[in-house]
Amino acid sequence: MSYRLKLLAAATFLAYSTMSQAADIKIGVAEALTGPAAKYGVAIKNGFTLAADQINAKGGVNGNKIQLIAEDEQGKKEEAINVFKKLLFQEKVLMIFGPTLSNSAFAADPIANATKTVVFGTSNTADGITNMGPFTFRNSVMEADVLPVTTRAAVKQFNIKKVAILYGNDDAFTKSGYDVFKSALAEQKIPVTDTETYAKGDVDFKAQLTKIKASNPDAIVCSCLAEEAANIILQTRSLGMKQPFVGGNGFNSPKLFEIAKDAADNTLMGSPWSAENPSAANKSFMADYKAKFGSDPDQFAAQAFDAMHIVAEALKKVSLSGNLEKDRLALRDALPAVKIEGATGKFAFRRAAPKDGKEAGYDAQQDAIVNIAKGGKFVLLK
Amino acid sequence: MLEWWDGFWAIYSTVIFGIGINAMLALSIYLTLSCGLLSLANAAFMGIGAYTASMISMQTALPFPLALLAGAIMPAIVALIIGIPTLRLSGVYLAMATLGFGEVVRVIVLNMEITGGPMGLNGIPQKTEWWHIVLLLAAILFILARMRRSKTGRAFEAIKEDEIAARLMGVNVGGYKLLAFVMGASIAGIAGGLNAHYTFTIGPGNYAFENAVDILTMAVFGGTSNLIGPLIGSSSLTLLPEFMHSLKDFRLAANGLILILVILYLPKGIWDPARIRNFRKKLTSSSSGKVS
Repeated sequence: MSYRLKLLAAATFLAYSTMSQAADIKIGVAEALTGPAAKYGVAIKNGFTLAADQINAKGGVNGNKIQLIAEDEQGKKEEAINVFKKLLFQEKVLMIFGPTLSNSAFAADPIANATKTVVFGTSNTADGITNMGPFTFRNSVMEADVLPVTTRAAVKQFNIKKVAILYGNDDAFTKSGYDVFKSALAEQKIPVTDTETYAKGDVDFKAQLTKIKASNPDAIVCSCLAEEAANIILQTRSLGMKQPFVGGNGFNSPKLFEIAKDAADNTLMGSPWSAENPSAANKSFMADYKAKFGSDPDQFAAQAFDAMHIVAEALKKVSLSGNLEKDRLALRDALPAVKIEGATGKFAFRRAAPKDGKEAGYDAQQDAIVNIAKGGKFVLLK
Repeated sequence: MLEWWDGFWAIYSTVIFGIGINAMLALSIYLTLSCGLLSLANAAFMGIGAYTASMISMQTALPFPLALLAGAIMPAIVALIIGIPTLRLSGVYLAMATLGFGEVVRVIVLNMEITGGPMGLNGIPQKTEWWHIVLLLAAILFILARMRRSKTGRAFEAIKEDEIAARLMGVNVGGYKLLAFVMGASIAGIAGGLNAHYTFTIGPGNYAFENAVDILTMAVFGGTSNLIGPLIGSSSLTLLPEFMHSLKDFRLAANGLILILVILYLPKGIWDPARIRNFRKKLTSSSSGKVS
C-alpha cells in the first residue's frame, strides 16, 4: 500500500470513527405535565429545555447533542412507573430526570435503581428519597438543610427568644417541614410556646391564632403553603399581632404577596434559589428564560436548569461506548464528583447516609438563601 | 417473538397489572350495584386492604398470601360493622353516607403514626406477580359467575329490580344487601393489597373521593348488567389514556369527551346485552324481510 493510500485510509477511518461517536445522548424527562402538579412539572421541563438548547447550541457535550425525551407522568404514582419503564426499556435513555412529586419518586425510583440507571430528581424534597438506592440523585435541597439556616437567621434578625408554630398536618410537605422546624428549634434551644395545626382547605385560622396570641411568642414559625400562609398572615394582623413570620419553601410564591400584600413584610423565607440572587449565572439564566418562554422563571425551573448542566458536566468526563449498560454506569460514577456554580449558586453532591443496610444515593450540598419580605417582594437578607 | 414479548412486558407490565386491579375494583362495585346499592366506599375499602397488607409485609415476616388474606378480611370486618346501620339507607343517601365513611377512613389514616401519616408508607416490598393477579381475578370471576345463577344472585336481582316486591316474596333483603356490601369490600381490599405491592408506596390521598368516582365510572362505563361490562369498562378506561399519549395536553379532555359520549348514547354502558340482542333481531328481521 502506498503512503498516500495509507493516509487516505487512516483519514476515512478517522472521519468514520468521529462520525460514529457523534450521536444523540438520550435523556428521559418524566414530569407531571398535566394534572394538579403541572404548574411545577411544566416549569421544570422548561428549565431542562433551556439548558439543553444552550448546551446543544455550543456544540453539545464532546460533540454529542443532548436529546430530551419528555413524558407526562401526570403526578400519579402508577403513571410514573409506566413512564419510567417506557423511557428505560423502549426509549433506552441514558438517564432519567424526575418525577415531579416525591410520592411518584417513591414509586418510580426503585425501577431505575433496579435497572442500574441514574434517576435525578430536581424537585423531590422528601426525606428518604436518596435512600432508595445508589443510583438516586437530587439537586433539590432538603428542607432539613434550609430551615435550620432560616430559623438561625430569624433569631439573629429579630432577637427572638420564643416562638409559636402553626402547620398543616394533612400534607406530606407541610408536615415534614414541621418536623424539621421542631428539631431545628430544639437544637437551637428556642422554646416553643404553642403548636397549632390546620387542615388543607381551611380558610379561618382565628381560633388557632387567638391561642397563639395568648402565648405571646416573639415570632410565628409556619410550615404552610403560600395561599394558607397569606391568609394566616392577614388574620394575624387583624388580631393586632405584629410578630414576624418564619417560613419554608412553601412561602416562595408570588401568591403570598397577591393575597397578603404589605402585611407579609418582615417574613423570613429560606430557599435554594432566589430571583434576587445577583450572581452572573443567575442573571443570565433569568434573562434567557424570559426570552425563551416569555415569563419569569421560578425555583423549579432554576433547579432543573442547574441539574441539566450538572449532568452535562459529568458527561464531559464520560466517553460514551454505545453500550447502554456500561454508559449508564459510567455516568453514575462520574456524577458525584461534579461541582458547578449555577443559577442556584455553588453546587456539589453529598452522599446520603445509608439506611437499613441499603446503599444510598446523593443529596445536594448547597447553601440556602435567606430572604426577607419588603414592600411586597422577597429580597436577600443582608 | 420471545424477545419482542420480553421488551413489551418490561415496558407495559404495570399497565397490564393496572387492568387486572381495576377489573377487580369494577367488579367490587358491580357486586353492590347488582344488589341495588349505590355505595361509594370501595376506594376506602381498597385503602384499608392496601394498608393492612402492606403493614403486615413491612413489619412482619409473614408470607405474601397471608398479608393479602388479611387485606381481604380486614375491609370485610369493617364493612360488616358499618354496613348494619348504613345499609338501611338507599339511593343518594347511601351514597352520601358511604362517601362520608371514606372521608373518615382518610382522616384516620392521616393522623395515625403507624400508617405514616400524610407521608404514607414507602418502600413496600414488590411482591405482586402477574399470576397473583390472574389467579385471583379468575377466582373472583368464577365465584361471581356462579353466584349470578344461584339463589343469592337471583335474590340480588330481585332486590335491585323492586325491593318491596322482593321483601314480600320472603327475600331477606337486609341480609343479602349486607352480603353484597361485605363481599364487595373484600374484593376491593384484595385489589388494594395487590396494588400496594407493585407501586412501592401508598398514601392517604390514593384512596379519596376521586378514586371512589373512578371506580364507579369504570363499572358504569362498561355496563353493570353482567360480569363482562365491568371488565370491558375497567380495561378500556385503563388503556384509553395510554393510547391517547399523542394528544398530549388534550388527553384528559378527550378522555372526558369519550365518557360523555358513551353515557349519552349508551346509557347502560358499552356492554348492554339487551341492546345487542335487539340490534341482532333488527338485522335478521330486516334481512329476512328482503328475502320474502
